[in-house]
Amino acid sequence: MKRVNAVVIGAGAGGGIVAKELSMAGLSVVLLERGKWYTPYDCRKDDLRNQRTAVLGNAFGPEDHGNPRVWVDPAGAEHIALPSDGIYQNNAACVGGGTFSYGAMAWRYLPQDFRMKSTYGRPEGSSLEDWPIGYDDLEPFYEKAEYEIGISGDYSGTPFHGPRRRPLPMPPLPPNREFEILEPAAKRLGLHPFHIPMARNAVPYNGRGSCMRCRWCVGFACEVDAKNGSQNTVIPTALSTGNCELRTKCMVKEILTDNGGSARGVAYFDADGHLQEQPSDIVVVSACAIESARLLLNSKSRLFPNGMGNRYDQVGRNLQGHHYTGAVGYFDFDTYDDIGPGASIAVTDYNHGTPGLCGGGLLANEFIRLPIQMIDRMPSDTPRWGLGHKRAMRDFYKRNIVVMGPTQQIPAADARVTLDSTVRDKWGLPVARISGNVHPHTFEIGKKQADRAAAWLKETGAVSISRFAGKGVLVSAGQHQAGTCRMGDDPRSSVVNKQCQIHDVDNVFVIDSSVHVTNGGFNPALTIMAIAYYASEALLRNWKGTQFRS
Amino acid sequence: MLTRRRFVTASAIAGAGLAAGCAARKNSAWEFLSEKDARTLTAICDQIIPADDFPSASQAGVLTYVDRQLVRHFQRFQKAYIKGLNHANLLSRKRFSLDLAEATPQQKLQIVSAIEQQNPEFFELVRSHTLQGYYGSPRHGGNREGVSWRMLGLSEPPIRGSAQYDLASGSRP
Amino acid sequence: MKRWLIICGFAICSVTLLAVGVTQGASLYYAAGHGAACADCHEMAEYASAVHSSPHDNATCTDCHQASLFTRLRHIQVHLAGSAPETIRLREVDVRQMIANCKSCHEHEYASWRAGPHSATYTEIFADPAHISKRGLMDDCFRCHGMYFDGAIRDLVQPQNTRGPWHLSHPELAGQPTIPCQACHWIHREGPPETKPPARISVAGPIVPQSLGFFDRREGMHFAAATLAIPTLYDGPRQLKASPDQRQAICYQCHAPRLPEANSTAAANHWGPQAGSGDDRTPMGVHEGLSCFSCHNSHNESARASCATCHPEMSHCGLDVEKMDTTYANPASKHNIHWVKCTDCHQHGLPRVKCVVTVAAR
Repeated sequence: MKRVNAVVIGAGAGGGIVAKELSMAGLSVVLLERGKWYTPYDCRKDDLRNQRTAVLGNAFGPEDHGNPRVWVDPAGAEHIALPSDGIYQNNAACVGGGTFSYGAMAWRYLPQDFRMKSTYGRPEGSSLEDWPIGYDDLEPFYEKAEYEIGISGDYSGTPFHGPRRRPLPMPPLPPNREFEILEPAAKRLGLHPFHIPMARNAVPYNGRGSCMRCRWCVGFACEVDAKNGSQNTVIPTALSTGNCELRTKCMVKEILTDNGGSARGVAYFDADGHLQEQPSDIVVVSACAIESARLLLNSKSRLFPNGMGNRYDQVGRNLQGHHYTGAVGYFDFDTYDDIGPGASIAVTDYNHGTPGLCGGGLLANEFIRLPIQMIDRMPSDTPRWGLGHKRAMRDFYKRNIVVMGPTQQIPAADARVTLDSTVRDKWGLPVARISGNVHPHTFEIGKKQADRAAAWLKETGAVSISRFAGKGVLVSAGQHQAGTCRMGDDPRSSVVNKQCQIHDVDNVFVIDSSVHVTNGGFNPALTIMAIAYYASEALLRNWKGTQFRS
Repeated sequence: MLTRRRFVTASAIAGAGLAAGCAARKNSAWEFLSEKDARTLTAICDQIIPADDFPSASQAGVLTYVDRQLVRHFQRFQKAYIKGLNHANLLSRKRFSLDLAEATPQQKLQIVSAIEQQNPEFFELVRSHTLQGYYGSPRHGGNREGVSWRMLGLSEPPIRGSAQYDLASGSRP
Repeated sequence: MKRWLIICGFAICSVTLLAVGVTQGASLYYAAGHGAACADCHEMAEYASAVHSSPHDNATCTDCHQASLFTRLRHIQVHLAGSAPETIRLREVDVRQMIANCKSCHEHEYASWRAGPHSATYTEIFADPAHISKRGLMDDCFRCHGMYFDGAIRDLVQPQNTRGPWHLSHPELAGQPTIPCQACHWIHREGPPETKPPARISVAGPIVPQSLGFFDRREGMHFAAATLAIPTLYDGPRQLKASPDQRQAICYQCHAPRLPEANSTAAANHWGPQAGSGDDRTPMGVHEGLSCFSCHNSHNESARASCATCHPEMSHCGLDVEKMDTTYANPASKHNIHWVKCTDCHQHGLPRVKCVVTVAAR
């Protein structure tokens, strides 16, 4: 196979941007994606088979057949998980990755989020650490992501955000009823509510129209193409340069190394299941935290007997996501207006600065709820079945508001991805084995956040409120998974350097959420995108003609 | 027991001709469930979602949903269903000397409560599948004609106009 | 030589006989049990039983579902191969073939539909540069056009951009209609035969026929018009009077308003969805409160003739309404007939005294 300058593994938020940046700079790029390039027709807004409610399977990959994982319960017992099981920690397997079907909140992390250890100290038993880069390093790239991907929203209502040079390129969507109910209550509590930044067209942008405000957003593909992901922005741009080739349904087996310890390309199974080798000058791993770690661990060779980048047993550690907690308020008037995407208002007052707590998270109202998502979110005194349950569905479906948020997790080194010694996927590759949990302090923060959500709902006039702040049996790292190839200056405690380059392999980069040292109290998509722009620029600075040198 | 799915496969293997194949009668209207299974399951589902001004679970097609998925996405639950439904009848016969389907509404309620206590794993399975079938997408056989959505006051399909923009200029025409 | 001819002739005859026999056999089998036998194996019992209590009860399955020879051969092939699916559904091509069968009984309705804009073809909708360069291509187009198309928008039109030039990836669809009969008609729906709606203008409208239903592409099924919503619309801050004619609900599925958009006056003032936004054509002004069906025939939306049912008798000012500056007289007029108001012309208020000019009877 013809040698190319770069192989990018994974066509999601990170990989799509890297492919675009490199191919625009004139490098030849092969973008490998294990999933397909789906369309809305592949799901047709199926309430039971989408990327959020997967009781009949995931609409946008991976399929249940041949893609198992193993998870370990607190007692140490191992269980097989299928992609449609919640405990699998699935994101997606498709062109666009998670951004094809996400809710599309597009947050910048706060400056403190990059300095968690300096701000709070390291809780005992945790692996809390500072990033080797700061908010200021990423600011220009956050801005680039906001303009190239297309973000709507309005930060003007809150002082709790990092400095920014330009406003968002699009105004927010007009408020829905929940916004109008929640906003005055938040202000009475002295909070600073504002419009959530969203990767969603509120006005025509990038040659596509604006959101039609339907009921099917998070978990679904957008039928009016107003939701912005890598599949309708950077990937088409990359392909239009003529320098980038996208190969779908290709599962990378391993990164191949030469005798000098550099990568010489990748081995992958093509759409027909045949093993292929693609030689390249550099390899970029953008397969999302769990699969990126698994690929590095599966890339064993004489020089890297424990997997690439894993000399100090760091690959796969510090797996984290977000600990979602909050509250549901039940009302005696209609709060539901059937206007999507639903999530509209947030406060970031609670992300930092609470004495005794290491951080916090944003609080926002939840996306519009399909009936199937309500069945287990009834007031606590509702019977779980029978006429009582049916009547409660009727009474409360249009009369409830969920306020919740992604509590920043305090990472722990033994929340991790390893390879399972016996279970194989359909290509015969060892599958990811997920074990451990985040540091218990996370649950204290989560509980506090749930109380705050409840207080907000109480001020809003909810007649009853139920909180949810459960502690999971396993690290919660689904769509927001991060941290498994930590960025750092010290090779003994991290996997990649500031440029997302693996410490002991010059021409292999990890550019996705795996490099997040901590994951903020925010949905991570925009940060993944900003890092992809930032790392691509660093990579191109070091690119010499047809060779890469560091 | 020859249910529809097994029958289709069997006729294909036997290479039976079109007319001969389809003329044969199956024993059950269901793909996986036997007629008796279906009656028992109806009794349980209709306790989980009974009829009031709006249909019960089985009236809304929940059995079609469960039955279809038992030979598709829920194949791994086949054994649990057969065992669970048998156990339900056993409970009913022990207490009332009747199959569950023949019991009075009061008796059915007692038995379903007993299943929830004694066989919680099976109960949770049936409960979640019943709620999925009733409140989920009608394309899978349940929620007939979107009846549960109407019950909740959702207009389906929702009314949404298309954008009247000139995308080239980004403005309204 | 002669012997060779005989063998050859015999072979041709037997192949033809076999083909005809098998095809006709299948059709006969299909027709014999009124579809009941088919429903034994296929997931279609509901359809088979519903049709018996529908106005189409005395039609046999094959009256409507008479497939092409090619389709019938395909049916035989999949049956013999054992690969017939349990859940069968109509493909786009099946729906198209049915239209001709609808026509054989409903000739008048067919002609009316054919003459109107609702029979717009795939080329007219999906390869029209003036349209696509402005509006773009998206999967949501299929909600109202090409709702039976088997695939995504990228499977139908290329390239997927606003620059073009565009071509259909399925050239056979070019001249085919995008809104077939089955878009609004739920043939298998139970209910009594439809009665002809009264000819006179009606605000309330007749009871909505059972067979009226909107085909929702996502669910792959019809939703009965009786259960569809009619939106509450506003003219600025004022809620519009709406006709309760439930038949309109089907029109609103596509002729739908938009919610107030970012940067719009309506959004800034927190007004509700505005009449006339998006594809909505709800009458405001002098025609406020009328049903779509007050003026439009359901198959051919041309409404020109319908004015005569009310005018000139109901003219408020005694002027000839057909000559006023509206889109009725001139499609380029800025006064859309759907929402023309007296104050559009009488900008300083209406004359206090009603005009007494009488329009000459036509």
